[in-house]
Amino acid sequence: MKKSEQRDLFPGALEMMILRTLKRQPLHGYALVQHIKRTSNDLLQIEEGSLYPALQRLLKEDLVKAEWSISSTNRRVRIYKLTAAGAKHLEREVSRFEKMLEGITRVLAPGQS
Amino acid sequence: MKIINRLRQLISRRRLYNDLSEEMQQHVDEKIEELVATGTLRKEATATARRSFGNVTLIQQDSRDAWRWPALEDFLMDIRVSLRTLRKNPGFAAAAILTLALGIGANTALFSVIDAVLLRPLPFREPGRLVAVHSVDIKDATHGGEISYPAFLDWRSRSHSFEAMSVWTATSLTYTGGDQPESVPGAMVSANLFSTLGVSPVLGRSFTQDEDQPGSDQLAVILSYEFWQSHFGDQTSVLGRALTLDNEKYTVVGVMPARFQFPVQKDRVELWVTIARDLQGKSAMAAQRGVSYLQVLARLRPKVKIPQAQSDVLLVQGQLNRQYPEERPRGVAMESESDQIAGAMRPVLLILLGAVGFVLLIACANVASLLLARATVRQKEFTLRSALGASRWMIVRQLLTESILLAVAGGVLGLLFARWATSALVAAAPEGLARTSDIALDLRVLIFTFVIALATGVLFGLAPALQASRSDAGRILDNSSRGSSSGPGGTRLRSVLVASQLAIAFVLLTGAGLLLRSFDRLQHVDPGFRADHVLTFLLDVPSDRHPGAQRSVFVQQLLQTTRALPGVKSASAVFGLPLSENESVFTATEIEGHAVPRSQRPRVAFRLVESNYFDTMGIRLLQGRAFTPRDEKGGPPLAIINETLARQLFQGENPLGRRIKPNISFGESDEAPMREIVGVTGDVKSGSIGGKTPLEIYAPQTPVDFIGEMTIVVRTSTDPNALVPAIRSLVTTMDKDLPLRRIKTLHEYVSGSISAPRFEALLLGSFAALAIMLTTIGLYGVISYSVVQRTREMGIRVALGAQRGSISSMVLRQGALLALTGTVVGLVTSLFAVRLIRGLLFGIGATDPATFIAVPLLLMSVALLASYIPARRAMRVDPIVALRHE
Repeated sequence: MKKSEQRDLFPGALEMMILRTLKRQPLHGYALVQHIKRTSNDLLQIEEGSLYPALQRLLKEDLVKAEWSISSTNRRVRIYKLTAAGAKHLEREVSRFEKMLEGITRVLAPGQS
Repeated sequence: MKIINRLRQLISRRRLYNDLSEEMQQHVDEKIEELVATGTLRKEATATARRSFGNVTLIQQDSRDAWRWPALEDFLMDIRVSLRTLRKNPGFAAAAILTLALGIGANTALFSVIDAVLLRPLPFREPGRLVAVHSVDIKDATHGGEISYPAFLDWRSRSHSFEAMSVWTATSLTYTGGDQPESVPGAMVSANLFSTLGVSPVLGRSFTQDEDQPGSDQLAVILSYEFWQSHFGDQTSVLGRALTLDNEKYTVVGVMPARFQFPVQKDRVELWVTIARDLQGKSAMAAQRGVSYLQVLARLRPKVKIPQAQSDVLLVQGQLNRQYPEERPRGVAMESESDQIAGAMRPVLLILLGAVGFVLLIACANVASLLLARATVRQKEFTLRSALGASRWMIVRQLLTESILLAVAGGVLGLLFARWATSALVAAAPEGLARTSDIALDLRVLIFTFVIALATGVLFGLAPALQASRSDAGRILDNSSRGSSSGPGGTRLRSVLVASQLAIAFVLLTGAGLLLRSFDRLQHVDPGFRADHVLTFLLDVPSDRHPGAQRSVFVQQLLQTTRALPGVKSASAVFGLPLSENESVFTATEIEGHAVPRSQRPRVAFRLVESNYFDTMGIRLLQGRAFTPRDEKGGPPLAIINETLARQLFQGENPLGRRIKPNISFGESDEAPMREIVGVTGDVKSGSIGGKTPLEIYAPQTPVDFIGEMTIVVRTSTDPNALVPAIRSLVTTMDKDLPLRRIKTLHEYVSGSISAPRFEALLLGSFAALAIMLTTIGLYGVISYSVVQRTREMGIRVALGAQRGSISSMVLRQGALLALTGTVVGLVTSLFAVRLIRGLLFGIGATDPATFIAVPLLLMSVALLASYIPARRAMRVDPIVALRHE
């Protein structure tokens, strides 16, 4: 049951990226994946499907909301939007992540031990 | 809120899932379109899109997991699967449920009794502070602990540990005012009894202090709610109304709440009157320090403990002993009121609870054994499931769910069984079992049943589940389906279970055997009289309508007309009928020529009898003569003594012609008379069938020596109860306001006296029967299962030339070995366990040889029978069929 998270970079990373992307603009699933891949310069190997369990979790926690509509290519798509709670969550997660990253960076930095 | 939200999500989940699959489909489609648009072949584009999307099923499942409520849903799914499994094996399910229902039902029934009798707090204010205080005759342990009214007043005024102290005594009152005179169970109490209990009337008021005093022309009475309802409807106008009770006028001052009862006893008390009525007249009962007939109920001050209060009262009693040296010295005993009410039944009920718990254990072992057998059959299923990714915990959980489901079903069926069993229990309840009217299958009992059902499910399910889940996938899947793969573990565990069952059954059978033998002994005790064909009833001849000598004339007339009735062989009257607890008068007695200080004189039971009494009762005369009608006219006072008195006080000397003085007078003379001994009778079991015979003196009833309350005894040649209408109309024509009280056959008194041993033997006997039945089924199951498992082996043996007889004896040997193990363990355990019931036995020792021979024999033969049937089947194994079975 926790398998999807193991496929992530680390637990919560995918969720964070989704929230960050949705903060810029509401998107549907496919566009969301493309955007993340593109932005990361294809450095992140994300299995496209793994987006969906993450989205369901965010939906359940009311961090995003979804609505069916018709895309520009005339396709029935489900557009995801960041909620206020989602925005707050993102902020918190990002700052936590940055702290963690800082910590890791310091440890990894050469010549400091 | 969170829970509601989650439940809502559970309900709307189908839509969520549909959205999800559509969305994922759209995703893949969009990707394909894009790839096609860049020039990829559609077929190739499809493959690429699918590949980069990942495993659709898994992703869907992961996505759905986000919405699930795993604990609840796993649970529901386990239940669904379990129900399906059980439905597919109705035989197994029925056997298991029935077994558990018997075990749980028996426990529930007994618990409902114990809950009502022992556990539930008394329905009074702060019942923990209520205590019963007994005034104990130091030299005579059989004394009941009653106190005289003057001594009680001293206790109350001189002690400091109590918020309140009151007295009561059960009595019965004749109510005239309805269509028929009616004898109503009542209690005479001190005015502060209800405030001591902390219960107030629902209507009117409680007694006032001055209602304890004689003098006012009308006495006060308080009615029970039930009496009020049945005799006066709902009328509040009953307050202030005059009732005629025992030919005296009483004013109704209050009505107690519904279901209120005090004293707490088998027959509900309907009327309460005050002690004032016993303080009237010249030789009033309640005015004599020597007449002890009242029970003390007291409320401790907060934080005062029983030992402290007891030494407080003991100090007072010590002063009284010094102050009144002519009285027999007394001590003080104190117990909580709830202990007093539970009385001797507490240890009995706890022993029975233990026994019935063991019955449930046996039932558990049976079901566990069934489950183990099934687990072997289902090994493949579990292996397959674990190969498909089920963890061991998931399999155990699934199996436990099945067990608990079985147990809960057994519990529900057990409740039905308990409803029946409880009413049977109440019907068989002995006289000492108070609060039986409170016995009910209420919420507390339901909770108990539910809890033991759950515990039972876990108990019998856990071991088989762990055993089953310990499977080695490869080995078992390889091994097609043959029974040889069952492994020794399950079989060994089942053998241990069966041997333990046999041991437990042995212990229960021993206990039941001892109680039954002891009850049998009690039934064959010679009571000293012939109990068959004797009708008795109590007659209280009131002195105002039949003053002076007319009372004895009235009784003589009644006896004469009764003797003339068809079917009557003889009739007589007695004050102090054997086995009728409330009627005995004990009095200090001296023998002429033996000067003994009053406080050291022996206590002797005193009875007044009409001249035909010994003849009617069938009491043997050993020496001298019986009373004659001439003795009843008056003349020198006479006495007949019993064998025990003759032996103990005359020690071989001839008592005839000697004189004896029981210290009792009947109002007309102040001094008790010396009585000449004219006869010696055989001993009569007058206190209880199992008890010792007291020293006894009979005196003839004369107009001078006459107590208004007489028991009429009628020996009949036909069914004694058939005579009741004729005798009733006879009494009515003589005095229409005179009720026949306590109409019972002598036989009923005898069986009432052994009702507690009967109850104990009946219950432990039923539990033992249940135990041996379940154990036999268990043993049969194990043996026949092993026969089925070894069919192939036996086929081979037969094919190789083994005698069929040797095959069956092989099976029998297996059964016998189990039975022997169980018997030996049971025997050793029993030798310790019987100590628990030693106090309940009569006439036999705790290691009664007959019981200890019969029980092993019974158990072994039942065990062999249970193995014999499968053994025969084993003998008939056809090698061809057995081998083809492969």
